Amino acid sequence: MGVKFFGQFLIDAGEIDASHVREALEFMEAQNPAIGQIAVAQGFMNSCDVARVHAEQRCRDLSFGDLAVEMGLLANQELVEILQRQRSRRIPIGQALVHLGHVASDRFGLLLDAYKADQAQFDVSDMKLPDGLASHRVTSHVLELLPRFMMRVARIQVKVGEIHVFDQVPEFAEVRVSVLLRGARGLEVALVSDIEFAEALAIQASGLLPSDLDPEMVADGVGEFLNVLCGNAASGLAKDGHRVEIGPPDYDAELCDGWVVDLAVGTGRAAVVLSTF
Amino acid sequence: MTSKVNVLLVDDSRTVLEQLERILADIEDVAIVGLARNGAAAIRMTNESKPDLVLMDIVMPGLDGLSALRTIKSMHPGIRIAMVSSVSGDATKAEEAFKLGACQVLGKPFDVDLIETLIENVRGDRGAPEAESNSWA
Repeated sequence: MGVKFFGQFLIDAGEIDASHVREALEFMEAQNPAIGQIAVAQGFMNSCDVARVHAEQRCRDLSFGDLAVEMGLLANQELVEILQRQRSRRIPIGQALVHLGHVASDRFGLLLDAYKADQAQFDVSDMKLPDGLASHRVTSHVLELLPRFMMRVARIQVKVGEIHVFDQVPEFAEVRVSVLLRGARGLEVALVSDIEFAEALAIQASGLLPSDLDPEMVADGVGEFLNVLCGNAASGLAKDGHRVEIGPPDYDAELCDGWVVDLAVGTGRAAVVLSTF
Repeated sequence: MTSKVNVLLVDDSRTVLEQLERILADIEDVAIVGLARNGAAAIRMTNESKPDLVLMDIVMPGLDGLSALRTIKSMHPGIRIAMVSSVSGDATKAEEAFKLGACQVLGKPFDVDLIETLIENVRGDRGAPEAESNSWA
């Protein structure tokens, strides 16, 4: 029901199981050139340096790259470059599964097409964003996926409206929940609303009766929606090679700057506030 | 008659715990043996109740789901642990979970059919050592 990576899609479709994924990951790691090998090929380290790091690793529980940096044999920027090269040369999991015989080569194309068709519902186009937000790629994912997940999670129709500079906290913002997205550029995504909207969202998300809701549960429901939205936005971005870490919800978000995105909702009033950090 | 599958639910969100309780209530012969709100409580409750299956969030404050997964698998390798997460589509996170021994990584919003299949797999595999189980572990 959300953004998936190819291995997960194959498990969910009953084509493979978790042990096959584990085996494929081990194969991919074995095929991957080691950090030391790339460092030598790039001229960042020599074979004696590599041997010194390996010797040190016998008594230290640190990765090769971190240890090499700590020992002064590799610069931080060089490690970043090496890791990028290692990632770019990584065998895709589908290819590994075919190589290991867990997916028949003549079915691979068919399954890949089915995966792309399944995930097309989460495709995001480039939105027109204000200058300060345009470089935060996750913003487009969050705003485009918002109506789709609001419908899926809470059966509430939402239309994303104007984006304008934050000047004051919207007067209807009785509930203010935010999630931090940390990556190369950080973004705080806050969903602010009146009680009516928040309760409607919480009821649909939890399945509770209105009489069973308490204020904590209302905020929790909004937080869980944000978690689903931002988690899937981050997963979509990860497919393009951009990692974003999502934090747990803050149920008492302080709003002081950024941009306000108006939301047209059928029940109550709501908006999204985006702040960069 | 089918045998009961004992499940421990772990998520910092009460909303998610409610969702999972409702989904599992509709599946025959499933017993929820506990609700935990963080990784440390999950480890303690697993030791106490020895569930057949742990359904656990990845992102939680305090001890997160992946750390708890590592600990529980080292103590109870036979217990099935499925991770639930909104970031399951991020291959790096999901791959880490599989490497640590997760039997499944379920995305959010939940797909009820996948949870039903997961329960039936646990029911079918129970009693078999995980390494020898060929259906999915």
